[in-house]
Amino acid sequence: MSTYIVRRLLLMIPTLLGITVMVFAISRIAPGDPVSLAMGPGGQMDAERAADVRKARMQLYGLDKPVHIQYGRWLWRVVRFDFGDSIKHHRPVIELIKERLPITLTLNLIAFVIIYVVSLPLGVLAAVRHKQFFDRASSVALFMLWSLPSMLVGQMLIGYFCGPTFKNWFPPAGLSSNYADQLPFFPWLADRLWHLVLPVFCLTYAGFAYLTKQVRAGMLDNLQADYVRTARAKGLSNWAVIFRHAFRNSVIPVITIMATLLPMMLGGSVIIERIFSVPGMGLLAFEAVTTRDYNVVMAVATIGGLMNLIGLLLADIAYAIADPRISFESSV
Amino acid sequence: MNKDGILLSIQGLSVSFFTDEGVVKAVQDVGFSIKRGKTFALVGESGCGKSVTALSIMRLVPEPPGKIVGGEIVFEGRNLLALSEKEIRRVRGNEVAMIFQEPMTSLNPVYTVGDQIVEAIKLHQKKSTSEAWADAVEMLRKVGIADSAQRVREYPHQMSGGMRQRVMIAMAASCEPVLLIADEPTTALDVTIQAQILDLLDELQRQNGMSILLITHDLGVVAERAEDVAVMYASRIVEVADSQELFEEPLHPYTQGLLKSLPQLGFSGKRLRTISGTVPEPLHFPSGCKFHPRCPIGCGDRRCQTVEPRLREVEAGRCAACWYAKGYEK
Amino acid sequence: MSSSATGKQSQAKANWGVSYGEMVWREFVKSRLSAASLIFVVVLFLLAIFAPFLANDKPFVIRVDGRLHFPLFRNLRPNDYCVFLAATVGIFQLLLIRRNRRRIDPSIRGAVFWRQICISSSTILIGGILAFVFVPRRLDATDYKALVASGEASDAIFAPIPYGYARTELKLREQPPSRRHWLGTDDVGSDVLCRLIHGSRISLSVGFVAVGISSVIGIFVGAILGYFGGKVDFVGMRIVEIMMAIPTFFLIITIVAFFPRSLLNIMIIIGITSWTGDARFIRAEFFKLRRQDFVQAAVSLGLPLRSILFRHMLPNGIAPVLVNATFGIAGAIFIEAALSFLGFGVAPPTPSWGQMLSLGVGTTGRFLWWLTLFPGLAIFFTVMAYNLVGEALRDAIDPRLRKAV
Repeated sequence: MSTYIVRRLLLMIPTLLGITVMVFAISRIAPGDPVSLAMGPGGQMDAERAADVRKARMQLYGLDKPVHIQYGRWLWRVVRFDFGDSIKHHRPVIELIKERLPITLTLNLIAFVIIYVVSLPLGVLAAVRHKQFFDRASSVALFMLWSLPSMLVGQMLIGYFCGPTFKNWFPPAGLSSNYADQLPFFPWLADRLWHLVLPVFCLTYAGFAYLTKQVRAGMLDNLQADYVRTARAKGLSNWAVIFRHAFRNSVIPVITIMATLLPMMLGGSVIIERIFSVPGMGLLAFEAVTTRDYNVVMAVATIGGLMNLIGLLLADIAYAIADPRISFESSV
Repeated sequence: MNKDGILLSIQGLSVSFFTDEGVVKAVQDVGFSIKRGKTFALVGESGCGKSVTALSIMRLVPEPPGKIVGGEIVFEGRNLLALSEKEIRRVRGNEVAMIFQEPMTSLNPVYTVGDQIVEAIKLHQKKSTSEAWADAVEMLRKVGIADSAQRVREYPHQMSGGMRQRVMIAMAASCEPVLLIADEPTTALDVTIQAQILDLLDELQRQNGMSILLITHDLGVVAERAEDVAVMYASRIVEVADSQELFEEPLHPYTQGLLKSLPQLGFSGKRLRTISGTVPEPLHFPSGCKFHPRCPIGCGDRRCQTVEPRLREVEAGRCAACWYAKGYEK
Repeated sequence: MSSSATGKQSQAKANWGVSYGEMVWREFVKSRLSAASLIFVVVLFLLAIFAPFLANDKPFVIRVDGRLHFPLFRNLRPNDYCVFLAATVGIFQLLLIRRNRRRIDPSIRGAVFWRQICISSSTILIGGILAFVFVPRRLDATDYKALVASGEASDAIFAPIPYGYARTELKLREQPPSRRHWLGTDDVGSDVLCRLIHGSRISLSVGFVAVGISSVIGIFVGAILGYFGGKVDFVGMRIVEIMMAIPTFFLIITIVAFFPRSLLNIMIIIGITSWTGDARFIRAEFFKLRRQDFVQAAVSLGLPLRSILFRHMLPNGIAPVLVNATFGIAGAIFIEAALSFLGFGVAPPTPSWGQMLSLGVGTTGRFLWWLTLFPGLAIFFTVMAYNLVGEALRDAIDPRLRKAV
């Protein structure tokens, strides 16, 4: 199994290189010189900032050299996680990322757990009660949830539950209250979680609608399978058949779905962190794009790709464990 | 109960499927008896209802579209159709076991072969896990799988089709059932393997004295392995007989047609003989005798077109459902 | 089981002699829900096409100094003409399809259909270019309502929603729904309902153009990878993997960061980041088709490659792409809304549902629910309608497709 992991890690390298090439290419293809780009449309910039921008670019790849040298220099720095300095914050980008990434990861991880914990039983139940009221009603409800834009949900939640206008149950922004530093651990934790409720809800509802549909579809297929008939013929009870046989097979494709869910949620983080002002990678990306902080933008794209690839690798490993038909010897 | 050595007696069984396109009467008024220790063959073309009949014995007919709408299945003095869910589960796998046509898909791909046999053993017998595993290894050996101690920990996808079917048989026979239902057990296998599997079933029958209900469309298999035969056509039984009598003197035109269409050694002619026409669609059965449109006798006969002949005993131990069968009208 | 075999038999009889497209259409309209969503999609199209007639601050006709003027018609812009032309040609094409079904022999129907599509598309394209070149862009800032109010003009017939989407009235900013403004006003005083209607044009055009671009790229790449296999496939799949490695939204905002904001850029960016799904579907289909006899026959006849790929193989493998395209439209509309919400998409005065959503929390921190709810519901219903159409299409084409992730 360790050889399998090592082999997959090695295969990740060309993909990672490809990501860096793509990110670099985007930054180079962009029209205009770095200062005017940084200014944005119809903008002005003072001389000091313009000098900062030029210096940052020089630092990263030296503007006068041919393209592939520039790429090489940039890549050499990236490999050591040196993405240069943020123009806006005047700090190394990597520090910003180190601060913000864990927050986004925590948010997404909690969301993942909730999604799986809720979807699996719900999907199984819907499949078992196929064509009955529960199944039909939940299908409709899930479909509607899936189509709801997160912006709408987030803003409505803030509007109704966070402000003076209606109810004031939840904090509208941030990760902790202002006085949180002074609290002992458990109240601090509770305060944190209280802040996280709404953002996590927004992250989960779409993913959970999608996953439940997939679980239900998988279960429906497996419940029709021949081996389920064999299991019944052996005299197994209905629940044993559903869980030990049908469900165990349905879990396999559901794991691969993790690979689709992850990029969806990373992308969704941008919107949700913006709405709820949660200081994570998503918000960092948003600010960077708004202020044309290029080093940060490129760093976020690269790190985002890296996170995604790691997630895909974990999904593949989990898949290989779950399905005995996949042997660790098989390649790619 | 030992009543004339009859183990299972089906009477008036009717099964219907309620689909979006209409009600499909898959099995109508089917009845026959299986003797202890003997092999009973149920023959017919695809779609005639023989598999559904077999599934009904263990009440495995999928309930939402399907429903057993009438009849009795008497097994060891009990009507299986009247048992509670818990009671019928005790019968399944234990007293009556079933093997299916597709060994590829009939085994769960994520569990080892041993896991699946042990599951059956532990369900019906009070044995510890290690005892059950030992039994599983022994069963695999009995069905002719070499290196059974090693094979028992393999997954189905690591085995060939013939081996998988042996595993199915091992699983079914592990609790020593008195009746084994084999639904086209060899149709999906190579010809060379077919004979081996059928020999294996014979061997188990000899050792345990179990009866076999063999569902097949292969008349050759029927001639070699079965003592009694029932022929099904379009949801009804059209003839029941001792296997030898059936082949020597078939009474129903459908059976006659089937036998005539078998290629014979020494046959010289341009075309094989067939039964004209096609099997009717279950949603649109013909009126009267369901075979009449294809029957050389009945296609022009008014009675055959309008009134359906019931299955009647024409001699001791022989039944037929045809107005013109010998001995039908007494 | 015998029941499913029966169903297939009777269905097979009913489908004898019916073309593939017709079969799909019949299956599609069986469900009331899918028919309803299709109607919603059509209604949305009509809204988008007739937007300038539904919501406009210039009247259809007005009498000034005894003479009749038609300000609304005079001030129509090139896009409007383009849209009208496309709609007319589209309806004409649909009627032609119906005529094809009745009059033309099935064996040549396909070729005739493609010829008609080519002619229609070129007509729209040429007409569009001509419109942009020749239609004058007038800037008429006359306040017609004031003219009527002051009595200088009379007999004015206004559109049902007598506001322009670019018209600002700062005195009336951030007003909740009222009799005058049925859905309220936004941060600069524009009428929300009017901007919603005009915004449908933006959303739909982004949806279709972006999906058009991504489908073309995806089909092309997928066809080549699927047909050639081997080394070409290996390299190609690595490239596809690289594109799929970065979360799509991150990639989009990365590109958006470096390029100027414009509607066309948004369409292109969404298009060039979403093609990987289509490519994988087509590749899988072409793998299967490559081994089929009719393809071998075409190759042995010496047909040119593009003919084999696009005339013979593609029509057989296009089904999952059509389904994916429908979902893609919903996705593109959502992405455009998300981008505009974050401020990276189209800028005012161009109306965009996402941009309107972002105004939900006003300058004073008040919750302006009408600016959140109505644009949000517009996005929600549109996305849901396209998703429903996509699902119904998928079920109609082949229930087996449900397995494809």
